[in-house]
Amino acid sequence: MHEFDWSSIPGAWPFLWDGMVISLQITITAILVGIVWGTLLALMRLSSIKPLAWFAAAYVNLFRAVPLVMVLLWFFLIVPTLLESLLGLPRGSDVRLASAITGFALFEAAYYSEIIRAGIQSVSKGQMAAASALGMTYGQSMRLVVLPQAFRNMIPLLLTQGIILFQDTSLVYVSALADFFGAAYKVGDRDGRLVELLLFAGAVYFVICFSASRIVRHYQNKMKVA
Amino acid sequence: MISMNKVSKHYGSFQVLSDCSTQVEKGEVIVVCGPSGSGKSTLIKCVNGLEPFQSGEIIVNGVSVGDPKTDLAKLRSTVGMVFQNFELFPHMRIVENLCIAQVKVLGRSPDEARAKASSLLERVGLSEQAGKYPGQLSGGQQQRVAIARALAMDPICMLFDEPTSALDPEMVNEVLDVMTELAQEGMTMMCVTHEMGFAKRVATRVIFMDQGRIVEDDSKDAFFEAARSERAQQFLAKILHH
Repeated sequence: MHEFDWSSIPGAWPFLWDGMVISLQITITAILVGIVWGTLLALMRLSSIKPLAWFAAAYVNLFRAVPLVMVLLWFFLIVPTLLESLLGLPRGSDVRLASAITGFALFEAAYYSEIIRAGIQSVSKGQMAAASALGMTYGQSMRLVVLPQAFRNMIPLLLTQGIILFQDTSLVYVSALADFFGAAYKVGDRDGRLVELLLFAGAVYFVICFSASRIVRHYQNKMKVA
Repeated sequence: MISMNKVSKHYGSFQVLSDCSTQVEKGEVIVVCGPSGSGKSTLIKCVNGLEPFQSGEIIVNGVSVGDPKTDLAKLRSTVGMVFQNFELFPHMRIVENLCIAQVKVLGRSPDEARAKASSLLERVGLSEQAGKYPGQLSGGQQQRVAIARALAMDPICMLFDEPTSALDPEMVNEVLDVMTELAQEGMTMMCVTHEMGFAKRVATRVIFMDQGRIVEDDSKDAFFEAARSERAQQFLAKILHH
């Protein structure tokens, strides 16, 4: 029978905390960029300008049809060289975090754009007609009337997608980046306590994601009443 | 003020409007009626370009609606429209519903817009509701707010698309009263409605449509006393006799 030994966790806490900061950094940036870029993609996809609609459809279908871990590897391999030449950084600078964030943001935007597109379509067409009838341009009608309602309808789904994204950040292990999962793995590997560290990491992910989804559920119920 | 000349529209092979022509002078109140599916809603939505049409011409206050060079947003800001389902913006308070387009489209200052909003809410008898959200109001109240919202833009004419059809019967009159008052003040109006009492009271002319055509376009008295077409007579017999 395996004897559990948790003693290496307290000493590794600062390192694990740094890992958590990286995980949260990736999650939050990817959510923000993903929502902004996803909104633009959704608007393009719904636009009457055909090339824009085709571009957005191709983008979304491409990213939704390939595994996330592969996208992260592409960005791990391509983006560093690209950033180095763009920003004139010395060769071999550590841009793993930047490339991971870029990969996540572009990937998640595809999922966010589908959520937001559904949100826009959930707002009755009469709202657009009423805004237009008041003399608002298409852009004003979208920004002031349709999108605020679409986002309000979609908040639970957007947050749920954010929780999934937080779990998926563990995939950055492919680029040897020490996010929370990566840090736990490294500590466990170093001290020969892999099982304990991975169980601990799993428990932390569970607590964070479970409480976050409870909060979303609570918000959803409150919205139903309002 | 509004002139339509041989306006036609089709969805694929289905003809929604065929060669519709009419004139609306300043201060006239036109009631557009007809059986459902006759194209009356489509006709008035063509006036402010909410519905595109394939042929013919509509001129509103000297501006051609169908001309691709026309700034439709600008034209629409001068033509008020009231919808069957109110279409207030549910995420904004009543007063914000009245102010938003004044500020964003006409460029009025927030204070000026608010002053205008209060005076219009008072006029439709809803000053008390200014801080509420549309969902907290009854259908009749929402439709009166929608009329006030359109009036806040100081429109040169008003279009009504079945403004009382979605209302509970006891709320129809509060909306018709506001419309009647508006008509008596000399507003140019085009109203799609089945409210023949309202038509008799305030209309100057009645347009009767059937299958996408304007079948009758008569003064009110001529229409109610001696509708010429058999179709209009049948329609009147159906809706007046109960």
